[in-house]
Amino acid sequence: MSHVSSLSELPDGRLAATWYAGSREGAGDVAIYFSTRTPADTRWSLPRAIVTRELATRDLNRYIKKVGNAVVFADSAGKLSLLYVTVSVGGWSGSSLNLTSSIDGGGTWSQGQRLTLSPFFNLSELAKNAPAALVSGSWAVPIYHEFISTFPEVLWLDETEKGVRVTKSRVSAGWFGYQPALTPLTASTALAVLRNDDDSKAVSVARTDDGGETWSTPNSVNLPNPDAGLDAIRLSDGRLLLAFNDSETGRENLKLALSTDEGQTWMRIATVAEEPGADFSYPFLLQASSGDVHLVYTWKRAAIRHVAFNIPWLSGSRTRSGR
Amino acid sequence: MTHASVVELYSAVCPWLALVWCLQRVAGLIVPSLRGWALLAVAGAIAVVVLLVPVQGLVMARWVAGLNANFSIPLTVILAVIVWERVFEPSLLAEREWTTAWSFGAIGGLALYPMALGLGSFDPYEWGWPFSPLFVVIGALTVLLIWKQNRFGFLLVLAAVAFQLRLLESTNYWDYLLDPIYSLVSIVWLAGGFVTSMRSSRTKRYSKTLPPNISTI
Repeated sequence: MSHVSSLSELPDGRLAATWYAGSREGAGDVAIYFSTRTPADTRWSLPRAIVTRELATRDLNRYIKKVGNAVVFADSAGKLSLLYVTVSVGGWSGSSLNLTSSIDGGGTWSQGQRLTLSPFFNLSELAKNAPAALVSGSWAVPIYHEFISTFPEVLWLDETEKGVRVTKSRVSAGWFGYQPALTPLTASTALAVLRNDDDSKAVSVARTDDGGETWSTPNSVNLPNPDAGLDAIRLSDGRLLLAFNDSETGRENLKLALSTDEGQTWMRIATVAEEPGADFSYPFLLQASSGDVHLVYTWKRAAIRHVAFNIPWLSGSRTRSGR
Repeated sequence: MTHASVVELYSAVCPWLALVWCLQRVAGLIVPSLRGWALLAVAGAIAVVVLLVPVQGLVMARWVAGLNANFSIPLTVILAVIVWERVFEPSLLAEREWTTAWSFGAIGGLALYPMALGLGSFDPYEWGWPFSPLFVVIGALTVLLIWKQNRFGFLLVLAAVAFQLRLLESTNYWDYLLDPIYSLVSIVWLAGGFVTSMRSSRTKRYSKTLPPNISTI
């Protein structure tokens, strides 16, 4: 089983990827894996486990039952940070977030640090999509809560020499979307594109025009969502690109859609994967400095698949199969 | 000693006090002759040993930290007071101060946890990181309690000092003031007191209606 991948680009152009893998989701042998790929190379480096249950237990000095979702991101100086989920008790609703970093391109990682983000036994905070870098040098990380109810939040993360400073704000109240994809439009305007577990069975979008201080009520858009993870990014030409499961019921296809009106309407442009009964899920998008777009996603829960395409292909494609 | 070590050490204080209190109660039943300082010393030492027992490479204190690493300052001090009062005669907190402690835990918990867990669009937990109305309200409450010579005010001062020293893993002020265990115990305590007082007042009303030669049990 392999699941929940993430991507980041290092200043030297290398791509760094993380995902978790093991005998089954939530098993004790699940570890978070790390791999890199240089722009000239077509192959990824041999995956290396960077967080195991045992390592997390030692690092955080407490019992860790399992590890889960991880998101990797790089700052302009090349420091890689990894936000990852651990669970000590119960299922995923018992998740807590932890932070570790690497200043040598992922070769070695600092001791993990537990982030306290919830007053109720610090339970149920998870991450899935990429953070947005702020002008101040800190990060706005889209996270979500799923204990009694589910809702999206933004973790404001500031890593200084004195340590890590965190604050948190809510995108919407309980029972209104989760696993947000944070898509900055300007310095103060951003969208949160949300996975939905309500009856609308549709992708929904919330908007902030004041740098995340307040958010609009999420609105459903013209794309379905079968309660499955999605990702959205703003391309360098200003359009928004979304990777999603085009179904109200299942994850047997993975498609791309574009929006030219800041997320109000979307147009399907390509099918990345499709097979009856299969599971293609948890997409993660990245536009590299070269302009190429990279997509990683869970392929039949068995592997992580990487797809790369350029803007001309994206502009020319009209619901054709991707490679 | 690093700050991280201090934080880990402090996270074991509340479990240690809880264990000492349990051992005091058990000792009272099986070794009634053991009292005072001797009981405190024995219970304290046993509690230290228990929390240092390694299980699968982790000492018990860190297993507890896996469940909760942020015990609030009021809960810690309340446990210390309970342990103290089982050993020594003078009460550290008067009746009204206990009522204040339980009221603070219950009202604070009801104000914080439902909304922080998603009920409503406002998350009061956000107020615990930057300077916010929470700091003003707690500051004013602290001054008021100390002015009224209510010693629970000093617990709030201790919570503010602990927050400045970052004694907990959390950097959120709420976690220094409240934790779910303290709030739950407070709510149960106040609810129990309310039920008792209701029964008592009903019994009084009933006995008033009885003829003078008939008494209630």
